[in-house]
Amino acid sequence: MENNINDDNAPKTCEYDPNVNQDELIKAQEKQIAEEIKANTAMVGSLDGLSSLEEEYSNDPVYSSKVKTLLPKFSNVRRTRPDGNCFLRGFIFAYLEYCIHHRDELVRFKKYLESSKEELFEIGFPKFTTEDFHDMFMEVVSDLEGSGSIDRVEAVCNDAGTSDYLVVYLRLLISAHLQKNAEFFSFFIEGGRTVEEFCKQEVEPMYRECDHLHIVALTAAVGVGVRVMYLDRGEGDALVSHDFPEDKEPIIHLLYRPGHYDILYKA
Amino acid sequence: MKVRAAVRMRGGRCGTVITQPRRSSILPFFSTMGEPQSALLLRKQLAELNKNPVEGFSAGLIDDNDIFKWEVLIIGPPDTLYEGGFFKAHLIFPREYPLRPPKMKFITDIWHPNIEKNGDVCISILHEPGDDKWGYEKASERWLPVHTVETILISVISMLADPNDESPANVDAAKDWREDYNIFKKKVARCVRRSQEE
Repeated sequence: MENNINDDNAPKTCEYDPNVNQDELIKAQEKQIAEEIKANTAMVGSLDGLSSLEEEYSNDPVYSSKVKTLLPKFSNVRRTRPDGNCFLRGFIFAYLEYCIHHRDELVRFKKYLESSKEELFEIGFPKFTTEDFHDMFMEVVSDLEGSGSIDRVEAVCNDAGTSDYLVVYLRLLISAHLQKNAEFFSFFIEGGRTVEEFCKQEVEPMYRECDHLHIVALTAAVGVGVRVMYLDRGEGDALVSHDFPEDKEPIIHLLYRPGHYDILYKA
Repeated sequence: MKVRAAVRMRGGRCGTVITQPRRSSILPFFSTMGEPQSALLLRKQLAELNKNPVEGFSAGLIDDNDIFKWEVLIIGPPDTLYEGGFFKAHLIFPREYPLRPPKMKFITDIWHPNIEKNGDVCISILHEPGDDKWGYEKASERWLPVHTVETILISVISMLADPNDESPANVDAAKDWREDYNIFKKKVARCVRRSQEE
């Protein structure tokens, strides 16, 4: 941990200086990196061809041969901002996009959202804030019912205030689902924490990355099938994929690279 | 809702002001009267707290024209050394509330291990996740977007009743509390008395 600061200032020796608070330095650098990511990447980017992925890995034989196996099945990719909310932003973007083309799903989702508020109150989330996030979500969905276009989805998911509110609400839905099924999920939680503690530390705070458990809970709660394609250094050319929940036909496809999710479009 | 006062574990860093990026773009079609969502949410909470006050504190604005700056009066919790005191504090909300936490500062002098001598409150739920990645607060609760003025103040009141002296914000107060409880009691009693005169 102590030798990865100031990598770019090569002439400087990294001797320990007791007068400098190393934690503060690391924190400052991390903040700076976060700010750069924020300034340079959209929360949900524009539609790119899959060839952009190939280019990204032109010097990496393992990844590039794997990307090739994606090609016949998928045509496009949409990148999300790597800020710890990428799974949730990718999920909600892809889902809302699906909904504007499948109005019956939008109706079903709206009904589910409506009923979810009471469920969150029952778990014990404070009324004011929970209601605020909920109302914003309902507004977005109602708005899409009317004018629903992909431009609108792009605008909503890239507007900081709105997009973050949607993410917060999805986090509450995940937390509620985990807590309601605490007995089951407690077996999968590491570090001797209770499900409630896990939710407070890993689910409800913004910018916390989504893991397997989050995805299991969200897809089960909302009732939406997601297929994740795993692009990593695992053996073989083919990408491993996983469906959440396992028995549901996926309507959303996400590309996972270690620590990050982007949206994939079927060819 | 169970709110436990999880108090900041490490002194000296609470005063660090972290400048937060201003976010002004709210989708025009989702905001009302040009006000950011945070202002609406705070306005709603203020109205509700005025209509149905919560035991233990009262809340208002420092300046009626600024919904982001609150003044609260905390009543010293019963059966604690602070009983009988009236402690004024300011809550300063960022435009990104509730995604980011407010800062809280006591205006009335108060002697407490987790409140800096300048009044800044060091309590873990007012710190963002990622604000301290090195595990000092790992086990404790961090800022969550669901927090309201009420849940914040319940945590602060609980902190008054139950200080945390591991690496405190006011080292002298923590020392008194740990090593010379009679002195600690005396100093707190003085604060309580003064707060009644204010």
